[in-house]
Amino acid sequence: MRLIIICDVRAVAFMSSPEFAVQTLYRCHHGWLNTWLRARLGNAADAADLAQDTFVRLLQRSERLELKAPRAFLRTIARGLVIDHWRREEIERAYLETIAHLPEAETPGSEARALIIELLESIARMLEGLKPKVRQAFLLAQCEGLTHKQIAGQMGLSLRSVERYVAEALYHCYVLRYAH
Amino acid sequence: MLLDNVAMGRRAEPPPHVVKQAIHWLLRLRNNHGNPRLNRQCEQWRAEHHQHELAWQRVQSLQAELSSNLRAVPGAQVAFNTLENSAQGLSRRQALKLLSGALLMGSAAWLAKDSGAWQQWSADYATATGEQRGFQLPDGTRIELNTASAVDLHYTAQQRLIKLTRGEIIVSCGGSDEGAPFDRPLRVQSRHGMYAPIGARFILRQDDDCSRLTVTSGRVAIVSGGHSLEAVAGQSYRIDHLQIRPVPTPDMDAGAWVDGLIVTRNMRLGDFLRELGRYRHGALNCAAEVADLRLSGVFRLEDTDKLLALLPQTLPVQLRYRTRWWVSVERAV
Repeated sequence: MRLIIICDVRAVAFMSSPEFAVQTLYRCHHGWLNTWLRARLGNAADAADLAQDTFVRLLQRSERLELKAPRAFLRTIARGLVIDHWRREEIERAYLETIAHLPEAETPGSEARALIIELLESIARMLEGLKPKVRQAFLLAQCEGLTHKQIAGQMGLSLRSVERYVAEALYHCYVLRYAH
Repeated sequence: MLLDNVAMGRRAEPPPHVVKQAIHWLLRLRNNHGNPRLNRQCEQWRAEHHQHELAWQRVQSLQAELSSNLRAVPGAQVAFNTLENSAQGLSRRQALKLLSGALLMGSAAWLAKDSGAWQQWSADYATATGEQRGFQLPDGTRIELNTASAVDLHYTAQQRLIKLTRGEIIVSCGGSDEGAPFDRPLRVQSRHGMYAPIGARFILRQDDDCSRLTVTSGRVAIVSGGHSLEAVAGQSYRIDHLQIRPVPTPDMDAGAWVDGLIVTRNMRLGDFLRELGRYRHGALNCAAEVADLRLSGVFRLEDTDKLLALLPQTLPVQLRYRTRWWVSVERAV
């Protein structure tokens, strides 16, 4: 992913545009952001990618940029991207580990595997922030089709807790999807 | 009940307690499967207020989407184990490289607040009955919509997703993969599965009970209902929530409609008329006694009345027009 730096003397309007604001941010803070990211990722190539990604996200934003504390602002976005990056890696690792035990005939091809990893990633993204027990109860109900009673037995919880957990997880997903 | 999206503007957003009630109903109904009294009570609750209905529809579709995505993953417990294992791995990494304390969330929460970024690349296309249209997408991908079809496009920094919500499309992958956000892999989705085209041109059709995919060039990976496979040029598959089944000798050329044609090989008359019915308003009935007659040929779709008029010339049938929009095909007397 490459950021296009616009070098055009024409536009006075451009000076007050979001693109100009992003360009200014880029010039002043790109190096710092790169360093910040490298410290988290321990890897220069990933850090450079995510730094670019951070600015691309900014360009896509429709609202005016908050420039009072630009580094805190950039860090918020970059932190989200670091977690996305780690999540992706963790899902990929966990998935490959899980299917390593499957017979070869049942192992999906590489493109199907990429699709499955994306599916799992989108679900993981939705469930993020849930307490582990809430997540587990919800997943047992969704993937394995267990009844709430069975889940209560398996997790050593009361039926009432399981019901509360599953409802809580669904509400969490709802808010993430529909709240503006 | 049909939702009127315009009437339910942002002001009518269901408040949290209504959403929680909707969730409560959903879980109660699931735990007491097929209890008619409970069903009635739930319907009553939904009818009480349009916000109830909206919350109900959303909760239900969210639940359906999550569970169909989870069940699409092949292998027993693979989805559960992967998600649990990765969630633990992720929280370990977060704890190790502590990202300055705050509630640790990825970009999803941040992005959700910024609807502008989504809408930037999202669009919906639809065709009416009898209409066909083609669209060139910004990444060079081309889609053709057949009659009575609809797609939602979600092109963001994270994904290029074409969602078939109704009818039938032909997708031709563009040559160019240059530049953000188009370096994301292209994904296509129907109610019954997810598809990853690899330099492909393919036809995807969604009916009520199944989707059908036919590849004319390149390859398409399919993931659905716990199965996965890769379809290559010349292959056709029928996909439902339970299985992906090859269709060895289709009785119809899947993509001929883009040239305004129906091309059949030994197709049952009943099936042919049902197919033709997709391009016409009104009712097109086929008497049971002639439904098994067979039909081969190339037919023009532009005037379906003219096409119907040809049938008695090749088959022992006659047409009966009760009105302009109510036609029956019966045995010739």
